[in-house]
Amino acid sequence: MNVPEDLKYAESHEWVRLEDGLCRVGITEFAQSQLADLTFVDLPEVGSTVTSGEEVAVVESVKAASDIYAPVSGDVVEINDSLSDSPEQINEDSFGEGWLFVIRPHKMEELDALLTAEAYRALLPEE
Amino acid sequence: MIPSRFCTFQKPLPYPEAVSLQEALVSARITDRIPDTFLLLEHPPVITLGRRGRRRYLLADASTLKQYGIAVEPSTRGGDVTYHGPGQWVLYPIVKLSRNELGAHGYLHALESVALKTASAFGVESYRREGKAGAWCDQGKFAAVGFKFTRWVTSHGVSLNVSPDLKAFDLIVGCGLVGESVSSFEDILGRKNCPTMPEVAHRIQEVTSEVFQRELDLCSPDELLV
Repeated sequence: MNVPEDLKYAESHEWVRLEDGLCRVGITEFAQSQLADLTFVDLPEVGSTVTSGEEVAVVESVKAASDIYAPVSGDVVEINDSLSDSPEQINEDSFGEGWLFVIRPHKMEELDALLTAEAYRALLPEE
Repeated sequence: MIPSRFCTFQKPLPYPEAVSLQEALVSARITDRIPDTFLLLEHPPVITLGRRGRRRYLLADASTLKQYGIAVEPSTRGGDVTYHGPGQWVLYPIVKLSRNELGAHGYLHALESVALKTASAFGVESYRREGKAGAWCDQGKFAAVGFKFTRWVTSHGVSLNVSPDLKAFDLIVGCGLVGESVSSFEDILGRKNCPTMPEVAHRIQEVTSEVFQRELDLCSPDELLV
């Protein structure tokens, strides 16, 4: 299972990429593989404020809905609009084109509480 | 076998109450305040719309629904639209999936297995259909599936038609499947040979224990959150 070294991770299977002080967020390859073929995504509003650990988005596969949690607190500054027409991008490229939203974090130190790739990998079932 | 609780409700539980109860149980399960818990119940007549909320699959207008005494409620489960009502058992597992059990495919398979094994126990021949979740027989779909994961704790689940008023399904396109019919044990076996709701409940409980590999302690509704 691919777990890129340059990202931070939440135990609830979101990833965070730090980009010029902003946090790009998606779900991991493991999470998308467990949810199977995604058919629907409900994203937060741009401009909304989110708190770390809060449910902010929902992804759905054929019969399963699953909550997505904000890995850090902050303001949502961008969402991946293209997912409403093609949610399968999350399955195909979860760490790239399948990103969900971008947060401008309120407290950068919250990033330190997230997991390293190594720590996240340890949470996954043995292959 | 993991110890778990199984609670059968003796009277129909309104849909919104069942949703609140499940939310409370999910929170309690996430923090390990309760063990895995299975709810088995009937709802008063209700049409529920999954988050995708495709109202276009709701064929009836408000006055027709009122005439039938059917409520319409939004739902956070996966899937489109479905009907619940008396004569239909609904199984809601509030289960923390272990690392080895994780996955929508495996969980969907388990819920379908509960319906298929229960049907088989009463002589109903049933099967899965590729790409069409639920349990099917030649007459149509008799069990529908829709669920949610919250930090890998499950909610919502599977509904199984024993002897509901099948006419209610004419008001919707069940699960958004155009041109597919809905069936029930009564429809397949005939009224005389159809098992009673308590008989089916008993079998669902046994099958749940087998499919989920859990030892089930019976529990009453007022003990659930104690």
